[in-house]
Amino acid sequence: MKTLNLMNLPRWIGSIGVAVMTATGAAEPPAMRDAATHQQLVEGMRQAKQNDPMKNLPLSKVADPLVANPRRSLLAESDVISFGGLATLIPKRAILQIPKNFSQRLKLEDGVRLVNWLEFYATNRGWITTVEISREQAEGTVALPVETRKMMSKCRNLVVATYLAGPISLLPAKEPPAKEPNTKPSTPAL
Amino acid sequence: MKSYLCVIAAALCVLPRAAADVVPVYTNYLRQYQTPTGVVWASNDTVAATGTQQSSLAINPGGARFDLWTIKASPYTEYLLDTKYVSTYTPAATVVITSEDPYALEDPDHPSAHPLIPRTRADRPFYVKVTVAGLSVDPAYPPASKSVNLCRYVQSYGVGGTGIGIDRTQATLLSQAAIATTVPQTLTYALTSVPGADRTKVRGEERFSVFTLLDATTTPSTPASQLASQYIQIWPVADGAVTGITQGQVIRNAMPQLTLTLHDLYPYSTTYAQVYKGSPQLGTAGAVVPGSNLVVSDTVPANSVLLVSNYDAVLPTDGVWTIEILTTTPFGTDRLAYLSFTLDRTIEMNGSFTTIE
Repeated sequence: MKTLNLMNLPRWIGSIGVAVMTATGAAEPPAMRDAATHQQLVEGMRQAKQNDPMKNLPLSKVADPLVANPRRSLLAESDVISFGGLATLIPKRAILQIPKNFSQRLKLEDGVRLVNWLEFYATNRGWITTVEISREQAEGTVALPVETRKMMSKCRNLVVATYLAGPISLLPAKEPPAKEPNTKPSTPAL
Repeated sequence: MKSYLCVIAAALCVLPRAAADVVPVYTNYLRQYQTPTGVVWASNDTVAATGTQQSSLAINPGGARFDLWTIKASPYTEYLLDTKYVSTYTPAATVVITSEDPYALEDPDHPSAHPLIPRTRADRPFYVKVTVAGLSVDPAYPPASKSVNLCRYVQSYGVGGTGIGIDRTQATLLSQAAIATTVPQTLTYALTSVPGADRTKVRGEERFSVFTLLDATTTPSTPASQLASQYIQIWPVADGAVTGITQGQVIRNAMPQLTLTLHDLYPYSTTYAQVYKGSPQLGTAGAVVPGSNLVVSDTVPANSVLLVSNYDAVLPTDGVWTIEILTTTPFGTDRLAYLSFTLDRTIEMNGSFTTIE
């Protein structure tokens, strides 16, 4: 396989760079060439394809990973909380409870300053309550405790799930597998 | 439980340049996506432009993908700066692309907090170094721990495009290879394969990404995830034309006004017109035509039209002269256009006289 000594590349390139900006006068005759033409590049590309260095590596035939990784969007994958000229983005499913009177605060409008959760929550503690959950609870394998659900039922604030004070998505509880066909399913936990 | 050191390196300065009179405001976000569960966690900490910190959310028993985003205000525009997948047994990988343009090279003694996007020109080579570490040799481990997938993507920016706002998931997969060794792979590409009918005018990017293999041993299976990725921007070859003088023209008076029409000047280049006495001869050093010098130091190519006049001083004598447009870039000096003309400003008087006695 053809290799290049990249260690010497910066020095070599650096010397070119110096020449670039001093070659505006007639003092030093520059080594020059005519700009490349389409035909030259077509021929060069043909040779480059023949010498594709990827051909020297074992062939891979797996599906295009980009297909399995579609375009992502932070804005689309987040919920917005906005108030008082500030807004923040938190993962979807992190908001556990939205009182009706706060539903208008879940929009991102122009002119609002985006900040991180820490800064936003510090100035909006009055109407936002956080519920610290475990990783297992976030994954939906462990239900939220009854006390937490009782607290939420009485809470008039916007409730956000957090893990170590950072917003975290709370996945739907996974129902345990039924042991017997006639077993009555348990009430899904929050 | 295993935690993982998450490295944050926000390449904020590589973002598209905003209008000169508006200072853009960016807010950074770091998201941790647990696999295969799909739990998403936003760290409580402020995400600075650079720095490192350890994630507090353990990634065991699956893995986690870390996405580094920044959002520009007014209007809100999001940029995915970087993404990395880590897990207990998946390998680690790095991709470094270099070219003859030192723009993105870092001084090892003074590494930049704001790495730049490597770039080159449609007629110049570039080099890709892929390094994989942490490959397992244990037969009990899944295939995803023993090999990775290197993918080469190309994507055109289109005519006049700069890459701003393109959907990179629409890139074309050109080739892929399996890497099951920790020996660094250096790939040399003499020319780009970014699609384009006129090969001198292609503009786009080539991306080299290392992905994990799909891991079917987890429930649900863990899809192929990106371990490392880098792209290089490819900019077109410049072209230029001189108007105001025609090839072979004889000029008997003051020099006419010239128009230098320049297209696709490389983002770091100096372009100028020079004149020298004699017929066109590549490599001849001449006198720079006053008012023709144009320096470009930008992130994208530039177009320009220069009007040049009052340059008789660089043409002191009569005879055949050549004018050339030259552009000097990190790749050397290229002649974009040239023509020759004849200067004949000597007034010859023909007369006779007679005498009468």
